[in-house]
Amino acid sequence: MSRRDLLRRLVSICSAGLALPLAIPGLAYLLSPLKKGSGGSSYDALARLSDLKVGEPRAFAVIRDLRDAWVKYPRQPIGAVWLIRQPEGVDPPVVALTAECPHLGCAVALAADGKSFLCPCHNSVFGIDGKPQNAVSPRPMDPLDIQIAKGDDPEIRVKFERFRPQSDRRIPLA
Amino acid sequence: MLKPLADWLDDRTGSRRLLAAALDLRTTAAARWRNTIGPVFAILFVIEAFTGLLLMLAYSPSSSTAWGSVLYIDHALWMGWFIRGVHYFAGQAMVILGGLYLLRALWSRAYHRPREFNWWLGLILLFLAVSLSRTGHLLPWDQEGYWSTKIETNIAGGVPIAGPYVQKLVVGGDEYGNLTVTRFHAAHVVLLPVLLAVCLAAQIALGRRQAVAPPAGESTGTGSSWLEHALKNLVASLVVLAVVIGIVLARGGAELEAPADPTSGDYPARPDWYFLWLFQLLRIFPSELRLVATLVIPGAIVAVLFLIPLLDRLLPRGLAHVLACAVVVALLGGAGYLSWRALAVDAADAHYHAARQEADAARDRAIALARDPSAGVPPEGSTFLLRLDPLTRGRGVLEKKCLGCHVLDGKGQGEQTASDLARFGSREWLTGMLKDPASKTYFGAVAGAEGMVEWKRTSKLKPQELEQVVDFVALFPSIPDDLTPDEWLSRKEIADHPGLPLFHKDCGTCHVVEGLCEGGTRDAPGLFAWGSHRWIERMVRKPAALDRYGYLEPKHQMPPFAAEQVSSRDLEMVVRFLKGDYLKPAAPR
Ligand code: FES
Repeated sequence: MSRRDLLRRLVSICSAGLALPLAIPGLAYLLSPLKKGSGGSSYDALARLSDLKVGEPRAFAVIRDLRDAWVKYPRQPIGAVWLIRQPEGVDPPVVALTAECPHLGCAVALAADGKSFLCPCHNSVFGIDGKPQNAVSPRPMDPLDIQIAKGDDPEIRVKFERFRPQSDRRIPLA
Repeated sequence: MLKPLADWLDDRTGSRRLLAAALDLRTTAAARWRNTIGPVFAILFVIEAFTGLLLMLAYSPSSSTAWGSVLYIDHALWMGWFIRGVHYFAGQAMVILGGLYLLRALWSRAYHRPREFNWWLGLILLFLAVSLSRTGHLLPWDQEGYWSTKIETNIAGGVPIAGPYVQKLVVGGDEYGNLTVTRFHAAHVVLLPVLLAVCLAAQIALGRRQAVAPPAGESTGTGSSWLEHALKNLVASLVVLAVVIGIVLARGGAELEAPADPTSGDYPARPDWYFLWLFQLLRIFPSELRLVATLVIPGAIVAVLFLIPLLDRLLPRGLAHVLACAVVVALLGGAGYLSWRALAVDAADAHYHAARQEADAARDRAIALARDPSAGVPPEGSTFLLRLDPLTRGRGVLEKKCLGCHVLDGKGQGEQTASDLARFGSREWLTGMLKDPASKTYFGAVAGAEGMVEWKRTSKLKPQELEQVVDFVALFPSIPDDLTPDEWLSRKEIADHPGLPLFHKDCGTCHVVEGLCEGGTRDAPGLFAWGSHRWIERMVRKPAALDRYGYLEPKHQMPPFAAEQVSSRDLEMVVRFLKGDYLKPAAPR
């Protein structure tokens, strides 16, 4: 190896020695948002059965402590859920659909007729059962797990989750 | 694969020639270690730009969010503490290298014609490195950044005529807050780095010009290949980086003090090490001479440094050099001595240690609160972390307002004329009081409050019955604020409580609980919801009310505290502190 080649090699080694101790932690730092969240969503009581009438969807806010990076906002609405009471005898008696549109995540509203859902962003239309009625959304509105206690006017508890938009399968985020 | 691409790029843009011109690698000088100071400074600047950009991804410049975002960088992001640590200590290294560069230039007389501009640029670069360090210091908006910036800008404001205006412009007004953060941020991430990059480029261009066409009379040397230069520069940079990383690892990153709190009383602000000598000057100069310390001496030093190249022409050859070196050595010696004095005075100062300890405790508490999932930085901002913490704020208010007469765990600040407030409202307090009301912990020190003592003497309650009364009264403090006595008494678990009839018989002859007992035998405070927030609030606001201790002689009554003296939020903090309703500090390891 000539002196020149040796120098060249040493220069490369030193450059790497200078760059890597910063580049590697820098990369880790950049990738931090991929950290697994502590996740594990729980059930929230949103309403009582008597708050709902058959065939008339109502939206309820999910209220939780919201952690936005370093700030904690106590008891904030973090999402909305449509609750739809089913006709007598159907089990479960209530269906919960998240108001987040499976297309690109806008908030789905009730259509003017009160009998279907309409997303104002790209005009996705869903039936009252959440099935898409045009080709905009890749999948039906996302149903959420629900718990209803026994009793004459039970509390309706919903497990609020978010799902990846655009996909035709339901993939929970985080 | 790559070569055709590079060829194509070169053909269309002339990239190779541009690159060769930019790297202009011809050199006549021999590669020497002492010439690596400048290049290492430049490489540190690149490191600062890189780590600084990373920090900007999470840093949030406002007085309410800055501290939280810095803590988030340190603790929530992977390697965040390391990135911030490198950014902080490499910045300090830039100050040192900027100084070394000047020393070396001075020693080798590199300010001499035609290198006057190298010298001046070097001075400006050092000034910019210090400014970057100072502006960066404020950005976490912690106690340290807040108070030292306040001190430094107040010093600037003391300069005659222009001072107050400059200060206002820098701070963004008279108050230190959001605008101070945004201004310092803009200076730190754009203005100063751009200026520094321009000066650095100019310095490099000058150096190159002189290397290619050496000034007359300078030997051209044997000339080393650019590889040798590059290698020496890289090795020197590696050494500096290794030292920086070593410090970061040893100290676990850069410091973060408790969030800035303009109302905190006793924060012992100290400047960075390179300003300690000025700090010490301020301590020893009497007030009427303070401008000598803050303006005349530093101004004179800077002026002399700037004028060195010109003095060199005026004075006989060589004399200026000897003088300049002597002056600088004397200055460094003086600064070193003053810095050492500053540290020595602090080390021997008990009050400083106490204040420092308090600041450390506040810092640890703030960080514990912010990191706890159930606490977190409140939306009002990081300053409110401690103001909304019962352990810090509640205890602080209690100590200031109450411990003149009351005591806490036996410790007070004056002659004790009231009860011990530690765990007031708890079952423990209640049990102790009913066992021995005459103890100083309870009513022993209170003039005119013999009621309970007399009861103790005459009461025929059996121990087991007394226990049931305690059980019953221990429910009082948790009666919700929106419940009336009737609503409370109609609850099944209350109506059926075995302690209720005993309470009615033994306590109800003196104490009033609306709807349960009338009192009347002798004067006593009303007991409904005793120990709860509302009971304590009324006791604090209106101690002379008939349902509190209005029956005592006025001179023995507790003085009332209106909302102007103890705000309702502070009162809530006190109550929650007494109830132990706060994030418990981790057991000391
Ligand atoms: S987001 Fe709902 S239709 Fe596009």
